[in-house]
Amino acid sequence: MANQTLKLGGGLPQDGDAICVMKAGKLRFMKPNKYWVESSQKRYVPSAGDNVLGVVVDTKPENFLVDIKGPALAFLPVLSFEGGTRRNIPKFEVGTLLYVRVVSANTGMNPELTCMDANGKAAEYGVLKEGYMFESSTGLSRALLSSPPHPVLEGLGKKLSFEIAVGINGRFWVNASQSSTVILVGNAIQKSESLSLVQQKIYLEKLLKSIQ
Amino acid sequence: MEQRLANSLIMTVNEKKFIENALVSDIRVDGRRPFDYRNLTIRFGSEDGSSEVQLGKTQVLAFVTGQLVQPYRDRPNEGSFAIYTEFSPMADPSFEPGRPGDSAIELGRIVDRGLRESRAVDTESLCVIAGKLVWSIRIDLHIIDNGGNLVDAANIAALAALSTFRRPECTVGGEDGQELTIHPPDVREPLPLILHHFPVAVTFGFIGKENIVVIDPTHYEEEVMGGSLTATLNTNGDVCAIQKAGGDGVLQSVIMQCLRIASVKAGDITSKIKNAVESYNTQRSLRKIKRHNPSPAVSNVAKHHTERLVLGANEFNVGSQSNEHDTMNEISSTANGFSNRDPNSQSVDTDALRASQPSCATPLDKLNEESTQVNPETKSTQQSSDMNSSASTHEATDIGLQENQSNTLKDAVKPKHKRRKKSTSNVNAS
Repeated sequence: MANQTLKLGGGLPQDGDAICVMKAGKLRFMKPNKYWVESSQKRYVPSAGDNVLGVVVDTKPENFLVDIKGPALAFLPVLSFEGGTRRNIPKFEVGTLLYVRVVSANTGMNPELTCMDANGKAAEYGVLKEGYMFESSTGLSRALLSSPPHPVLEGLGKKLSFEIAVGINGRFWVNASQSSTVILVGNAIQKSESLSLVQQKIYLEKLLKSIQ
Repeated sequence: MEQRLANSLIMTVNEKKFIENALVSDIRVDGRRPFDYRNLTIRFGSEDGSSEVQLGKTQVLAFVTGQLVQPYRDRPNEGSFAIYTEFSPMADPSFEPGRPGDSAIELGRIVDRGLRESRAVDTESLCVIAGKLVWSIRIDLHIIDNGGNLVDAANIAALAALSTFRRPECTVGGEDGQELTIHPPDVREPLPLILHHFPVAVTFGFIGKENIVVIDPTHYEEEVMGGSLTATLNTNGDVCAIQKAGGDGVLQSVIMQCLRIASVKAGDITSKIKNAVESYNTQRSLRKIKRHNPSPAVSNVAKHHTERLVLGANEFNVGSQSNEHDTMNEISSTANGFSNRDPNSQSVDTDALRASQPSCATPLDKLNEESTQVNPETKSTQQSSDMNSSASTHEATDIGLQENQSNTLKDAVKPKHKRRKKSTSNVNAS
């Protein structure tokens, strides 16, 4: 390898001239020069730009306190909604499920959230009504959001109609007209985490047969 | 404030509504039907009396230990047992280390009541010297993972651990009948506890305004349920205990229905526990048989190993020749009591036998292993049965041989053997 500048991502600190590995996981590479270690945990480390699923735990005059499975509760300013003014502050009761974006996340400080996209529009952010929220690991969330799409998710999507919102913080929400569909999709995705690609396809086939 | 919030389970309003709606159509979030139990796995540890139970995601460990203590004054003939619960902080964010909280105490009380009130554990057999020494059994329950329904899992773990617990055998001797000899497990096979029946706890949750009944609630269902009922029953149809602490009121007919369902589930669970305990016991006795040079004599001995025969009234006093006589004859028909014997004490004649069979590998090294391994013992029994068949008159010479052999072998013995000698010297001293 000729002289090359490498960009080292998470889990690969540089120790003098040597690169060491600090996390357990898969070594990933993206052209032209990015390396990082991808691991799957139950805990989430907030970072700016992530789309996460949060649960409101408290209301303050200036912010909503939202749990995003990180080390600290996140603040969602009451005005960070499309067309939000002091007059039309939304009323969220404790336990409301929200799809939000992380604006800033510095270690030691509470992360900041928003329900608007970069242009100030609501986009898809906001309250998620009905449905059920399932817990997953960060690895599974990433797999659900990746392209090519997750085999189980894709296969189920072809046969059943449901709505799904995936937070990179290890939570995903499923909604459908029937409770049984929601339960089926949620449990299938959770179970498929520990299966390899081939096993996932087999599992999916069995599942779809049992639905018919 | 944030610390406090982080300790409790954060539930969304969606989840509560969804769980109730799904139950109207008779399905639960993990795909079970309302009266289905989760997968139950019962495993045992390496020591007698330790069990690990997994019920879905819930994991509980149980350890049973025994100690000799003075009995209570009003019950001089009975032993006692006590249950200690520990909710490990790794099981749930809301568990704090230190003093047990309310739910921990309640769990301990339910398990204790099921065993004590129904007299499942026979306490009179735990008496050694009336009024002076009885066995006190201690059951420690450790909650490792909280996936819901800790009571049932802890109860099953306690029952499994009690079934596999073995206490050392004690004999009372001496002139006034007050001298106590506790036999170490390598000398005499330890005894199991006497359990008259298995009180199994079955927990029901009542969810929603219509109080829909679910069995074996998960962690999430426990958060949304309005009340819960734990019924402890056995397969004979006896209701050992019922616990319903607060929560929504339920109709009498609902309670009767729950009891009926609980008796069916109790039967299932009891048979699962019994199967697990049986396979553990078979494995345990198989471990005591060394599969080596199968000869007809050995196969006979092996058969006897799988049954647990008490050694009879002969106590093993050091250096007494008459006993050696008896033990030589008994060897072929006794169970696992002979492993790891000190070569300096009489009987088993491991030394003599070793002398006669130079091919054996150093059984003394094996003597240093766990007392459950019976490699030298089986060898010695095999050899002893051969010896028996040859001539019993050789005993006198064997004894003489033994003295000489023991000196030389003692020198050759590795230092760790001292540990063995200590345990047997207790026997010698008593």
